[in-house]
Amino acid sequence: MARTDVVGDIERSGRPAEVPAIEISGLTKVYGASETKAVDNVSLSVPPGTVFGFLGPNGAGKTTTIKILAGLLSATSGQVRLNGLDVARQRAAAMEQFGAVLEGSRNTYWTLSAMQNLVYFGRLQGMRTSEARSRAEELLRDLDLWDRRDEKVGGYSRGMQQKVAVAASLIADPPIVLLDEPTIGLDVEATRTVKDWIRTLSKDRGKTILLTTHQMDVVEELCDRVAVIRRGQVVTDLPTDQLLARSRQRDKYEIRIDGTGDGLVLPEGFTAVSGEETTLISGRLEDPQDLYPVVDRLREYGAVIEWMAQVQPDLEDVFLDLIREPAR
Amino acid sequence: MTTLTTTTNRPGAPVRASRSRLSTWANGFGNEVHKGWLGLIGGWRGTLIQMAMFAIFYLLVVLFIGRGQLRTDLLITGLLGMVPLTFIHEQVNRAFWSYLGDIQSGTLEQTYLTPLPSWVLLLGRQVAAIIGALPYAAAVYVTGLITISAHGASMPSDVRVLVPLAAIVVGTSGLALILCGLTLVYKRVEVATQISIALWFIAGGTFVPLINMPTWAASLSRAIIPIAPGIEAMREILLKGRSLTGLQDGWGLGWVIIQPLLILLIGVLVFTRFERVAMRRGTLGRY
Repeated sequence: MARTDVVGDIERSGRPAEVPAIEISGLTKVYGASETKAVDNVSLSVPPGTVFGFLGPNGAGKTTTIKILAGLLSATSGQVRLNGLDVARQRAAAMEQFGAVLEGSRNTYWTLSAMQNLVYFGRLQGMRTSEARSRAEELLRDLDLWDRRDEKVGGYSRGMQQKVAVAASLIADPPIVLLDEPTIGLDVEATRTVKDWIRTLSKDRGKTILLTTHQMDVVEELCDRVAVIRRGQVVTDLPTDQLLARSRQRDKYEIRIDGTGDGLVLPEGFTAVSGEETTLISGRLEDPQDLYPVVDRLREYGAVIEWMAQVQPDLEDVFLDLIREPAR
Repeated sequence: MTTLTTTTNRPGAPVRASRSRLSTWANGFGNEVHKGWLGLIGGWRGTLIQMAMFAIFYLLVVLFIGRGQLRTDLLITGLLGMVPLTFIHEQVNRAFWSYLGDIQSGTLEQTYLTPLPSWVLLLGRQVAAIIGALPYAAAVYVTGLITISAHGASMPSDVRVLVPLAAIVVGTSGLALILCGLTLVYKRVEVATQISIALWFIAGGTFVPLINMPTWAASLSRAIIPIAPGIEAMREILLKGRSLTGLQDGWGLGWVIIQPLLILLIGVLVFTRFERVAMRRGTLGRY
């Protein structure tokens, strides 16, 4: 039986609701003879239709996990399933389940036009030329690239190139889309466009999106759920609102004082950023009453408080806290 | 706001129609060949310049060997060596750079995100490289024919040379596979590629027939250089009037056929092995 039929059966039969779109179980990757684990027993489950933020600092194991997920790298142990299909053992069928924009790569051929690229990547996904052309036309019109479809992609702006890369990942209309740093290098307008696509793909089309980015505002705005990886291990995996709420159990305070703050000994957990004339002190407190000793210390130092505020931590604060905390 | 169209709102219009595995593979193979073709015609100016350069190179070599004269005998024997050399140079380089170029640009990983088996794409890239190499070999051949005619002679022809020619195509494809496989893991293998091409020029019997070389050197060339047995066979058929079964200078028809098949087999094994290593080490898209 043809491979496409196998996948067709799965799609037609209706996937049971409990089958995750992406399921990573006990994934470990050790490079070469070194004992260092780039990915260490990572397990994640992404329900269908979710925008899943997969975050981590550079070198945390994020790219390694993504490459294993995309079938570009073999795992030392563990398993990755896309819509229930094992990437290592059922590669062909699993590959039909997703499209990807990979970080740091061109993703498309710059010597070919946008239309040629989309037709090429469509056929690479098993589409006939006529099918790929028809789908490419839809995407290029949607992305306002139709008038420039026959120009070489190398001559496009960075934002337009990224649009073509996203279009290429959607050419076969896969249920899962992997977007690795899709807004990197884009200007404000192009970033807004990409964010709109992601929202449309997820909310209106029910696609599962795995998103990695260092732009926390993008994550906070779009992701239903966030996992953070650090030193090869997942340190948190929570719905975005829960993650923010958990962090907000400890409020963040900011105090601006006059002067550079030389010689000021800060209370534990507080940091200071000195400017030319003022210093911004910030830190987290579980109980607002704990603010009194901080103020007392500033008074003893002789600082003049210019301004003080309680600040809601955003996802960037949460992320920084998570990657600084000892691994759990 | 941008509106994205997906097939979910186009019932009855599946993006991927169901079809047989063979048909899907054939489509994927054709896709790679088509991409190679687009690359060739997209850089047509460069193609024309290179075609002229190879033709000039051929004439210059004959001129130097002939001590300042374009001797007819050298034009004919040299042409039989230069056409395969041009072919191997272009075929190997095109196949090799289709990988290294994609690795450098970061596009290679994207081409692996496919339900198609990688050997289908590999085969497509190889055929695209063969098609891409043909205009250069043809340019040298036509230049040779015109120059030889201008000297009042004619280039012998015999349909039986198609056998050694096909053997050369198979052998160079094997060599290209070896180098493509190596570059998936060792990114600086480019230097080895250039050196190997130079080696084929010197030791492949291109201008100096193998029978004029020391026995050990001729044996080594016949054993490992993909174009050597083919060139030797073509010279015997066209210049000495021998039949395919009557080849005497080298190791016979059997070796003309077996040697490229062995190189192809080694190429397939090396590529498969190194592709697996690249996927284990994560070097598929790393340069």
